[in-house]
Amino acid sequence: MVLLSFINPLSEEGQEIVKEKGNLENVFSSNDELIYIATHDKRQNIDDDSLIPESYGDLAIKRIQWYIERKNNKNFNNDDYSYLFNEKITEADVISFHLISQAIATKLSPNSREARFFVESQGKIIEERIVKLPEQERKEIVNRILNQLIFQESINWKFLKELVASKKISLTDLVLDEGNIILDKEDFINRFGNKFKDRAPDRMYDIIIGDSIKELILTKMIMQNTENYLQKIREMSSKIEVHPAISELSEKIAQSISELTSKYSGFYGVGVSEGSMKIGKLIKEAFPPCIATTVEGVSSGGRNDAIVLLLTSFVSYARLYPAIFRNEGVDVKISDIDPNLTITLNEILPLIYEAADNCSPPLFDDQPQEKINITSKLGFGMYENPELDHEGETTWYTPMSCEKIKMHLPQLCRPDKLCAKIGNPLSYYSRAKWLMEKEGKSANNGNSNNNGNSNND
Amino acid sequence: MTLDISSNNFYTYLWHIHGDIIFKTATLEERRRYYREEWSEKDLPKFITDELRMREFGFDHLGHGPNDRYKVFRGKDSLRRFLRYKTPFAAYISVAFYNNPRRRGDWIKSEYVFDVDAKDLPIRSCDCDGVCEICLSEALEIVNNLIDTLESDLGIKNIHLIYSGRGYHIRILDDDIMDSDSELRSEILKYVAGAEVPKLKYGNISEGSGSSYNFEHFSIPIAYPKVFTKRLKYNIQHLKGTEEIDDINKKLLKDIIKNRDLLEDNQWGIFRSKIGPRRYKNMVTGMARVNLATIDAKVSIDLKRILRLPTSLHSKVSMKCVEVKDREWFDPFKSAVPKFVEERE
Repeated sequence: MVLLSFINPLSEEGQEIVKEKGNLENVFSSNDELIYIATHDKRQNIDDDSLIPESYGDLAIKRIQWYIERKNNKNFNNDDYSYLFNEKITEADVISFHLISQAIATKLSPNSREARFFVESQGKIIEERIVKLPEQERKEIVNRILNQLIFQESINWKFLKELVASKKISLTDLVLDEGNIILDKEDFINRFGNKFKDRAPDRMYDIIIGDSIKELILTKMIMQNTENYLQKIREMSSKIEVHPAISELSEKIAQSISELTSKYSGFYGVGVSEGSMKIGKLIKEAFPPCIATTVEGVSSGGRNDAIVLLLTSFVSYARLYPAIFRNEGVDVKISDIDPNLTITLNEILPLIYEAADNCSPPLFDDQPQEKINITSKLGFGMYENPELDHEGETTWYTPMSCEKIKMHLPQLCRPDKLCAKIGNPLSYYSRAKWLMEKEGKSANNGNSNNNGNSNND
Repeated sequence: MTLDISSNNFYTYLWHIHGDIIFKTATLEERRRYYREEWSEKDLPKFITDELRMREFGFDHLGHGPNDRYKVFRGKDSLRRFLRYKTPFAAYISVAFYNNPRRRGDWIKSEYVFDVDAKDLPIRSCDCDGVCEICLSEALEIVNNLIDTLESDLGIKNIHLIYSGRGYHIRILDDDIMDSDSELRSEILKYVAGAEVPKLKYGNISEGSGSSYNFEHFSIPIAYPKVFTKRLKYNIQHLKGTEEIDDINKKLLKDIIKNRDLLEDNQWGIFRSKIGPRRYKNMVTGMARVNLATIDAKVSIDLKRILRLPTSLHSKVSMKCVEVKDREWFDPFKSAVPKFVEERE
């Protein structure tokens, strides 16, 4: 039987291991035992020394590396990281897990890109480790860990509401009855046995619930607990001085992630290479469907929100600062990029005003005050026109997420294929631009874009 | 329109003959009569009067929309005095509770709301311009379905139904939901509304990781697929054929209506094969959108919205905003018509 901490490094057992064997003095010192386990794994590729983790710190970096490679590398070879799925590695793995947590929480931030990769990689590692277990052991370990994570007999979905709110679990994937998440077979048959006419209920249980929902909940809960753990370390870290090894590790993690993401750019961050994140003329052919529709005009009902909230923020960021979500937390003003407001006044506002005119009825005809609201959303206070003197009186609104658009402006959301890969219209724009550049269909110089060939599906 | 006199429902009868008498805007004199002679603080629902002083009130005095906001009342008495004296065109109360409601400061929690407006229903059987008996009763059926799902699937408690004058507000004061953010609210909304296309593929790991099964929503009579199937059936049965729904073109709409009798006995499989698998998928996608559009979603995710105050007068249509006690049998023409309307010429 594998150790529980092989799946859940945050378990009590995992914490014991860290207490006993974790030592910040040897984060980067060569660890013979670890090397031995990795090189003696039956499937491990040992041709290349750089594949073998030499120290706890190295293992920490490789854990995240594995995740990014696996997701993006078309020629990814499982055997390059086989040791990660060898239960003998448990102790070293738990220590490296806690090291990454320290490094990210203290030196980076719990909301950073690095933190996101770490939490996602942890989820994937759990999934793959569980899949590789023999069936009986798999069931048993999942039940044992779930029993530790969930204290009651049946769980109310509200117990997992954080997971629902953060979209780690979708309510629509759960079998719910009177607020309870149904996981137990007997319970399932008692509640729903008579609902199935043509199929055997116990068979339907295996198909609809089986172990998959349990494993999903287990994985997502550990991911959530990892996030909470980062937050907790963050809160405590202000009082303690960070060990140099932890600082070094955080730098190495950040560096490794940034190397890999630029290698596989187009898949991460805002989803594009640095090139298409650069400031440049607006390329309308790369607008997502919701923005393209808005530019053509919206009928009354959704006019105000579409122009003032959606289009204003989208156009201004797309034109001036498309990397906003990559550099989250950066406090940026329009004048940082457009010091004389030339672009704002000559390119951004005309596009917004034109779209407002295209509305039926034209927006400013009956609601002239919306000009003030547009100025305000650009960060220039409540005035008819943006002026440098007033900048900062309000904040420069970031573009609405797709989720918000679906709720606020459902009539505008007509997703195409590319939409499935993004969560914000601005990411769509950057990605579409990147695809257009890659296919050589767009003018790279931005000054004149050849509209002839914009339909690249 | 045929009239069932035997129902002995005076107001329905009145509406049939003189629809414009009821739905006419109330005059200032009528508003005065309402607030001075008919309105009583005893009719305020308990969920409103509890912690009344932590809510923000808003008023519309002239009929141009609420512009007198950030009002606070210490209790029922001061609210009564204000209403009697000002006789507002419309009165609103926040869904939010604040420590400092006068500034909308220090937010504590908010009710979770579903707003279903009869005039905005994307599918409704009537052809009226605003609201009428038919679409109001369909709105009631829809909110009843939503409440059933909220209670039976999600186990959500403390649900109140309000007739708003032109539709319904479901107002939820479940402690576990009230402190939650917009994200959770939108996730619940999607489930309850049936706004997501149910997944087709079900993995079964105990038979090896490779095997998975495809199930259409109607093959699974429980959980979310059941909710979706129910909403879909409702929509299909209420189609008129003149709707414009994305992903559902005229021909498809016609074929759906032609074959919808099959759904009376839940013969979904045959229905689907008549429509064809590709077009069926379009239908399902289109209907998921309709389900979302049936509810005004931005009200549900808004933590600081103000909603019409139960007991207040909806002056535009001369109807009372009232709490619905018996949601099976509620009839706005019986319970929400103010006295002055009866006496109108």
